[in-house]
Amino acid sequence: MKNNSQSSILERNVVKNVFFAKLAISFYAIILLFVLGEIILPGFISFSHVMSVLRLSVFLGIVALGQTLVVISGNEGVDLSVGSVLSIGVVLSAYFLNGQNINIPKALLLTPAVGLGFGLVSGLAISYIEIPPIIMTLAMASVVEGTSLIITKGFPTGNAPPFLEVIGNGKIFDIPYLILVWIVLIILSSLVLKKTKWGNILYGVGSNSLTAELSGVMVKRFRVFVYGICGAIAAFAGLFLLSYTGTPYLNLGANYTMPSIASLAIGGISLAGGNGNYIGAVTGCIILTTLNSILVALRTTEAVRQITFGLLLLILIIAYTGRRKK
Amino acid sequence: MKNGFQFKNFYQNPSFPSFLILLAIIILNAFLQPNFFTYRAFKSNLLTFTPLILTSIAQGLIILVGCVDLSLGATISLITVLMASLMGDSVMSMLLVVLCGSGLALLMSLVNGFIISYFGPPPLLTTYATSVLWFGIALFFMPTPGGYIPSAFSKMYRSELFLRFPVALIFLVGAFLLLYFISKLKFYKHIYAVGGNEDATYANGVNVFTTKIKVFLLSGLFVALAAVCVVAQTATGDARSGLGYSLNSVAASIIGGLSFSGGKGSIAGPIMGGLILGLLINVLYFANITSFYQEFMKGIIIIFSLAIGAIPKYLKTRSL
Repeated sequence: MKNNSQSSILERNVVKNVFFAKLAISFYAIILLFVLGEIILPGFISFSHVMSVLRLSVFLGIVALGQTLVVISGNEGVDLSVGSVLSIGVVLSAYFLNGQNINIPKALLLTPAVGLGFGLVSGLAISYIEIPPIIMTLAMASVVEGTSLIITKGFPTGNAPPFLEVIGNGKIFDIPYLILVWIVLIILSSLVLKKTKWGNILYGVGSNSLTAELSGVMVKRFRVFVYGICGAIAAFAGLFLLSYTGTPYLNLGANYTMPSIASLAIGGISLAGGNGNYIGAVTGCIILTTLNSILVALRTTEAVRQITFGLLLLILIIAYTGRRKK
Repeated sequence: MKNGFQFKNFYQNPSFPSFLILLAIIILNAFLQPNFFTYRAFKSNLLTFTPLILTSIAQGLIILVGCVDLSLGATISLITVLMASLMGDSVMSMLLVVLCGSGLALLMSLVNGFIISYFGPPPLLTTYATSVLWFGIALFFMPTPGGYIPSAFSKMYRSELFLRFPVALIFLVGAFLLLYFISKLKFYKHIYAVGGNEDATYANGVNVFTTKIKVFLLSGLFVALAAVCVVAQTATGDARSGLGYSLNSVAASIIGGLSFSGGKGSIAGPIMGGLILGLLINVLYFANITSFYQEFMKGIIIIFSLAIGAIPKYLKTRSL
């Protein structure tokens, strides 16, 4: 009897945990936002429109993957250069591709390599010289932005080849290819984070770098590597953004940096590091993109859009990361 | 060897490298900017640097208490918009509008401070959200730069008092005196305590909540001063006028030797950091570097300064 009641309490707790976990709340928020969109603008919730909103969140989503890795790795880790690296990824991949399908392997290899380089430099300075990540990646953002100005002289050249344009704008069974790419990325990254040794080390380093160090992990070297991967992923996202826009522009990534961090917070990833998973970030990205597309669809002025976005972002951040203090 | 001057303590001071960088960059400026040491150049530089230095002080105080404020730039923008839309020609209205603007700055920093210390979300994200909000409000009232600032107001900022003492310098000296006064208070120690270890400070009976709120209000005061300088200098209200200030002030604080986790470093650091950044932009201008290279060079030099700033920590770990 006693056992029974205990197990039922346990069950109730499990149910409670499933339905009220931060992740579940994020899902409710997404559904709520779409319903809200439907009320404001009939047709918002139609399949094709939902898909187009999801497709827009892919770019933020890919950038947020790198950001997730950096944040999980702890030590106040955060990368404020992702937006600039995304921008240079767009510019560089357009330059490498030059509208030719045959150049795709070259772009696939070289664009992330450049991002990797920038990330590694940030990582080296953060790990070995112990410059705070925020300010180091910020200065790096300046360097990256400057680099793309120098190589383009203000006018980016090249464009996406036909095959990439199909990836960026095409659909299969009404599902955009980009979303499929994202799903593959989500599954892959979740597997890497949860099932591989590398993922374990990442969480270990993030939650307690001293124990990780004592267990034989080269913590400093590992962090350098994590920043490098984050840069590579951001540049990679640039390639996909180019596939969507077709032609490159400067500073396409300017509005991705802070939202990529905000999406983590909304998705329940602690900025202190050591926990969280990519699915959380994914929901955060979808929430932010949906919110933005509702505001854009309302055809308000930029001012009203900024005010509403700022206010809602503030509420979301307080709701998800706030903890009442004495 | 306990008494007397200890060179070791001097060069291990967190602000020491920024002092060296400052000297180096002054020498560089002296070579590049013609007549760098004349009164004219000094004054024109002073007019340009004052807002950044004041913002850096505001940011420095917030970083000392263990937070960061990315909304300082947007705060400046919003105040310039407010001032440019309300200001009239009479001295009375100028005074009232400046008071209004300062009140608004205090209110905005109070909002940030309250949210951060009451609900406890990460300051980085919170102040990013409020910066979007402030920017939106500024755009709402002034979609394109405009408004009216009487030329008398700008002239006042550029003018000199007796003995050719620039008015802009009064702003700075006033700010320094205020800082000096505050540094004598018990509250100043509380800032370091809260920044160093919040829980321990709380356990020792210091009210963490009010300390943080006070720091934010204080920073609001410095931001208000900075905004007045920006308005007087540009003579317009512009929702984008403050854009660069948030991040530059963070960079200035860190270059000045403050620790990002709070509680370490001296408030003289951000002042020197602000000067360094200002002189740096000066160098890029006078060295005739094409605009394409300026952003790149700026980033490189900031990284370089940060690396030099890390030297005392390195020496300390070496000497242990």
